[in-house]
Amino acid sequence: MRARFCFLILAAGILQAQQVVAPTPDAVGSPRGENTGDYNITNSFETGYRWSIVNGDAGMYRSDVNYGNGLRLLGSSLTVDSRDGHGHYFDEILLNTIGLGNDPYQAATLRVRKNGLYEYDMTWRLDDFYNPGLDISGGAHLMNTSRRIQDHDFTLFPNGAFQLDLGYSRNTQNGPALTTAQEFDTRSSAFPVFENVHRQWNEYRLGVRANFAGFTFIARHTWDYYKDDPVDTFSGQEVAGTQNDLGALTQFQRTQPFHGSTPGWLGNLFTHRKLWALNARMTYTGGTGDFALDEMATGTSRFGAAANRQIVVTGNGGRPNLAGDFSVSFFPKQNLTIVNNSSVHDLRIAGDNYYTEFDNGTGLATTFAFEFLGVRTIANDTDINYRLKDWIGFFAGYTYSERQIRQTDASALPSIPGTAFSDSYVSENHLNAARLGIRLRPLKPLTVTLEGELGRNNKPLAPISEDNYHTLNARVQYRTRHLQLSTEYRQIYNLNAPLSLSYYTSHSRTYSGSGSWSPRDWFSIDATYNKLHLDTLGSLEFFAGVLGPQLQTGYDSLYISNIHAGDVGVRFAVSKRADLYVGYSITKDVGDGRSSAVPPGTTDPVQALLSSVQTFPLTYQSPLARLSIRISPKVRWNAGYQFYGYGELFHLLGYNQNYNANTGYTSLLWSF
Amino acid sequence: MRGFLRIVLLVSILSAAGTVWAQTGYVGSNVCKTCHADIWFNFYKNPHYRSIASGSEPPERTGCEGCHGPGKAHVEARGGKSTIPHAFSLMTPRQVMEDCLTCHASNFDKANIRRSEHTLADVACNSCHSIHHSPTPKYLLAKVQKDLCYGCHADIRSQFEMPSHHRVNEGFMNCTDCHNPHGVFAATWRMADRPRMVSQALTNEEACLKCHVDKRGPFVFEHPPVRIDGCETCHYPHGSMNGRLLRRPVVFTLCLECHNGGGNGTRNSGVDIQSATHNLLDPKYQRCTTCHVRIHGSNIDVYFLR
Repeated sequence: MRARFCFLILAAGILQAQQVVAPTPDAVGSPRGENTGDYNITNSFETGYRWSIVNGDAGMYRSDVNYGNGLRLLGSSLTVDSRDGHGHYFDEILLNTIGLGNDPYQAATLRVRKNGLYEYDMTWRLDDFYNPGLDISGGAHLMNTSRRIQDHDFTLFPNGAFQLDLGYSRNTQNGPALTTAQEFDTRSSAFPVFENVHRQWNEYRLGVRANFAGFTFIARHTWDYYKDDPVDTFSGQEVAGTQNDLGALTQFQRTQPFHGSTPGWLGNLFTHRKLWALNARMTYTGGTGDFALDEMATGTSRFGAAANRQIVVTGNGGRPNLAGDFSVSFFPKQNLTIVNNSSVHDLRIAGDNYYTEFDNGTGLATTFAFEFLGVRTIANDTDINYRLKDWIGFFAGYTYSERQIRQTDASALPSIPGTAFSDSYVSENHLNAARLGIRLRPLKPLTVTLEGELGRNNKPLAPISEDNYHTLNARVQYRTRHLQLSTEYRQIYNLNAPLSLSYYTSHSRTYSGSGSWSPRDWFSIDATYNKLHLDTLGSLEFFAGVLGPQLQTGYDSLYISNIHAGDVGVRFAVSKRADLYVGYSITKDVGDGRSSAVPPGTTDPVQALLSSVQTFPLTYQSPLARLSIRISPKVRWNAGYQFYGYGELFHLLGYNQNYNANTGYTSLLWSF
Repeated sequence: MRGFLRIVLLVSILSAAGTVWAQTGYVGSNVCKTCHADIWFNFYKNPHYRSIASGSEPPERTGCEGCHGPGKAHVEARGGKSTIPHAFSLMTPRQVMEDCLTCHASNFDKANIRRSEHTLADVACNSCHSIHHSPTPKYLLAKVQKDLCYGCHADIRSQFEMPSHHRVNEGFMNCTDCHNPHGVFAATWRMADRPRMVSQALTNEEACLKCHVDKRGPFVFEHPPVRIDGCETCHYPHGSMNGRLLRRPVVFTLCLECHNGGGNGTRNSGVDIQSATHNLLDPKYQRCTTCHVRIHGSNIDVYFLR
């Protein structure tokens, strides 16, 4: 039995998805740990060196993978458990870390708990965040920042009749970025400027939970503060570099602070009885924000004249956000559950600004602008879950949802003839959706689930929003101790037509199959295959032309994606001394099978542009191998190699982002 | 010989527990450990051990019998799954859930378990949690979280293996950063019908905003689909073959598919079309976000230019 227990722990580490090569998931040492006094301690550290060699577009590699070189504490784990559940200060300490030392993705989790008295949970994470630069991916901006997130939760008297919760979360993002500023007039080019990102969010939480008469009541108050203090600068000579644009930027300075707070309340009352259950929630957050912008630019306009421009904006915004839910469940029979849920959500966003612009041509202009966006949604849905026999069950559901959107503009919109300041609009729509499903279990290890949903939205917000849609889903799973097989088909069709001015259809089909087989404790294999198909067709209306912008209404936006994704992982153990894991994952979008981005014979330049982005064949693959050798009962030596290959068949808008990277590591894992 | 010793030990313990046995059928965890020593040996590390450590819980909420029910019949029959009143591997998903909710119903994160997609699909507690053989002590999961979820959601697994993805495989994130597998309140975006398993962050807002706080606002000029239909309008949440988790390889098709005068828009007149001054054949107009840098919302400019 003990051997089986150890195997199960090991198997849990084996049957896993394709992964990053390190840290090593294999365990070493006794899972039972060492006894010290009244505590049991288990501990492990994996320390090693990670390396990477990148060929091709390093920026794209950093965006996708980002592992570098250097010494790392690849992973560590510490548990301290009191053996009788009556520790003096604590009964459990649990600390896990990954990637500390300079990996781009680092995390630490800590739990300290004393039975019946307190519980403390902490999560700390770091993500070295990178976006490729300006001139690739169609105008996106470079980011080279670090995001740090931490969450602390302290609970007094956990699971007691009265529980007190204290919490603190912090999210910071700092680092350099490259953004753009469009200067001197709205038809000029945008110039790249450097930005120093500095964002910080803090949230403090205080909550209570009380159990009385079979009810649980939760109240929570949050204090939430956010500030964004970016500084953008440029000094030098940056030319627009586009056709018919003589614009140049020589000096630029922008500060754009935004400080806001969002206090919030949450109240929740719920109970669970033999024949019924109730769950009611009400939340309110009242977000506010104050902002300013001071921007100064000097240079040359697109016609070649000297230009300077200063913009000053100040203002504030508010966003009260109310959400309520009331859910009632009935269990009239052991095999029947009926749940009805009503919800209301009211969001109002209102803000105003005072816009002042100075330039050497017009002098001074002051504009007061405000905008209001209100969204109110009321929804009711009912789910019925009925088990006819042990081997067959049904579920069904119906949702009715009504949404009202209100908007008030304090800006005349040139794109909409006849608009004026302070125009108000109200738009209402509703959705009816019905679901039906069946569950079968003809054999104990075999489950079959079939379900479908049909929805009708009378006035979708955007052309691509769900309007006339249906989904189908079928899943078959076979599970035994050593073998797991699963297959699924999912279909989502959305038809957004006919509309008065446009049409849009979207067909998404997913086929997947996966299997895990672990016939022996020294061998296991895990494989998955997916085919993800998407095709969309939407009408377009835009301005383009060789001789100047002309309204174009006869073109479509066609997008076809045919993704084949597969991975396989095989693990061998040799005489309990060595573990070898070999894995391979590939994701390949074959598009619609065309051999060139623009089909031969296309002479219309507008159609050529649209054709070039209709499909995006791409292969992304990553084989890996890892060897882990047990040197002693407490020490393992590990080494691994992982390759990343990214290859676009067509280079979007002329930019080649392909790369291949060889990465690896070697480490020692010490446990007791 | 080993079996004989076990029986002798069992009889001795049962003699001591005789009174309780006679009255309620509960025999106490000490009896169980006689045969199930492998489980008992590490059980003090299990969060459920608290029921034993407290010493004040009634028998029906203490130790092994707190979940498996009174052990008298099982002991008398000298084992066998069918003699365990609550043998989870023999129970229906509904019964498993009911048993676990006996204690866990008062947890806030399980308040919506009745309307969870998992519940409707017969995914019960022991489909994901392994009480006695969990490699992850924190939530007693049967596997590392992502592998557990990938076991059924193979299509999502493949999305996390695409070039642009949230860092779940790298260990920076977990599925539960965005999802609550036990069910959630109605979404406060889209039409409130779906998604049904995405947690609300920051009390009542879309999950993405917990990390991407700079997109939260409030902004004087909101990009309406961000607030009304949510981030998924333009982005895939798990992974994408396109940069920045976008739904299209280039920005301009993403923008133009909505900005074509169709739909309803917020003004009952369709979504605004592209400006007449923008010639799409000019490369600078093919990169919309080069100028419209504040596409998620701006305090300064109605067209999100700064």
